[in-house]
Amino acid sequence: MVDVDPFIDEKIEEISESVGDANAVIGLSGGVDSSTAAALAYEAIGDQLTAVYVDTGLMRKGETDQIRETFDYMDSLRIIDAKDRFLDALEGETDPEEKRHIIGEQFIREFEEVARDVDADYLVQGTIYPDRIESEGTIKSHHNVGGLPERIDFAGIVEPMRDLYKDEVREVARKLDLESIIAERMPFPGPGLAVRILGEVTEEKLDVAREANHVVEEELTEYEPWQALAAVIGKATGVKGDNRVHGWVVAVRSVESRDGMTARAQEIDWETLQRIQSRITGENETVSRVVYDVTHKPPATIEYE
Amino acid sequence: MTRIDVIDNHGQFTHLEQRALRDMGVDVDIVDNETPPENIDADGLVLSGGPDIDRIGNCPDYLDLDIPVFGICLGMQIIATELNGDVGSGDYGGYADVTVEVTDDTDPLVGSLAPDTRVWASHADEVKDVPEGFERTAKSDVCGVEAMSNTARDLYGVQWHPEVAHTERGEEVFENFLTLCE
Repeated sequence: MVDVDPFIDEKIEEISESVGDANAVIGLSGGVDSSTAAALAYEAIGDQLTAVYVDTGLMRKGETDQIRETFDYMDSLRIIDAKDRFLDALEGETDPEEKRHIIGEQFIREFEEVARDVDADYLVQGTIYPDRIESEGTIKSHHNVGGLPERIDFAGIVEPMRDLYKDEVREVARKLDLESIIAERMPFPGPGLAVRILGEVTEEKLDVAREANHVVEEELTEYEPWQALAAVIGKATGVKGDNRVHGWVVAVRSVESRDGMTARAQEIDWETLQRIQSRITGENETVSRVVYDVTHKPPATIEYE
Repeated sequence: MTRIDVIDNHGQFTHLEQRALRDMGVDVDIVDNETPPENIDADGLVLSGGPDIDRIGNCPDYLDLDIPVFGICLGMQIIATELNGDVGSGDYGGYADVTVEVTDDTDPLVGSLAPDTRVWASHADEVKDVPEGFERTAKSDVCGVEAMSNTARDLYGVQWHPEVAHTERGEEVFENFLTLCE
């Protein structure tokens, strides 16, 4: 386990030394990794840092507002509404890796505009160990690994947490007094809800995914999952109020894990599962079915794409 | 301080092997499996898991370095293949939760886990026959050779992943190996 106090001092010094008097940017996703990296960098270089949050339209319910509130203390925070551009870019695409690639590319475009505008020489990233392993092993590509550095001519890239695991990042976040909602927050993938929608990303599926994820997170709080999610995985027949519905199938997944490298599907009581099912089918006209995923990792991954 | 190198066979858990040893206070590095054997300077080696028996670099040569070697998953299969045991695909892939029965409670690597232990696994292939000089030290319902040892040569292997958080007594296996290296 990382020794938190010396780690923080060491990294603050490292960031100050690397960046010097120049400007730096960081992409803020709202997840614990980039939030912690941003907080470390802000401690180190203050307003020389511009934190950029891109609202891709693929975020969870209320996420953008929460970011605005949490990072209110950074005067240089920029929130960019890029929903339409992301959805346009994703239109018609069904291949999972291609979807990740498109999102990564669009993210870079949004980001480079800000980077040029503030004349940033340095890029700070919240990359952690498993991101690098999984990208190297081509199990899944992570959008914060590769991409940006090739497109923008940064003098340097600073990745203060490149050797840490998620649980260690949380230790650091706690020490930095990041609001508990960030420190204890469930991991959320860079490409957002797009990887919780199998096949093409549409507004309709996004609405279902967003509402269903909200229900799942709310209902499963007491199980303290490492990650709990809902994914729109296909269509199936149902009957609602005497009418046949060819509606969405929503898969619910809840796992416990230390570091995301392995995961155990949680045993959820029947009543809770039924409440989740009832809320998701009841609040979303187009959902016909809810299933619970019992697969561990391995052989499954935590996310669906 | 005892020094152990983790030989990287491109497994996704290689870094967790390093982490497990690091957390025990061992001087540990991840080392590329193409490193020439004469450049290895360690008191013991861990051969990591990995996706492909054709990408094991110089692992076979490391078995002659006269230091304890601990093969994990593919790492154990490398030892079995190299020393004329037999590796083949299992009837039933071993994924996630497996209960392993320790068949030799005197074994220095896994004996302390007897009579049985809950582990996390991820493999399609398995060791069918252990090489000459080796004892099968653990088995399960889904895999005939879950662990094997050659105490005379200090070569050891397990089919599961002691380095992942979900394996119940994984640290104990690394501690037992550390004792063999000291």
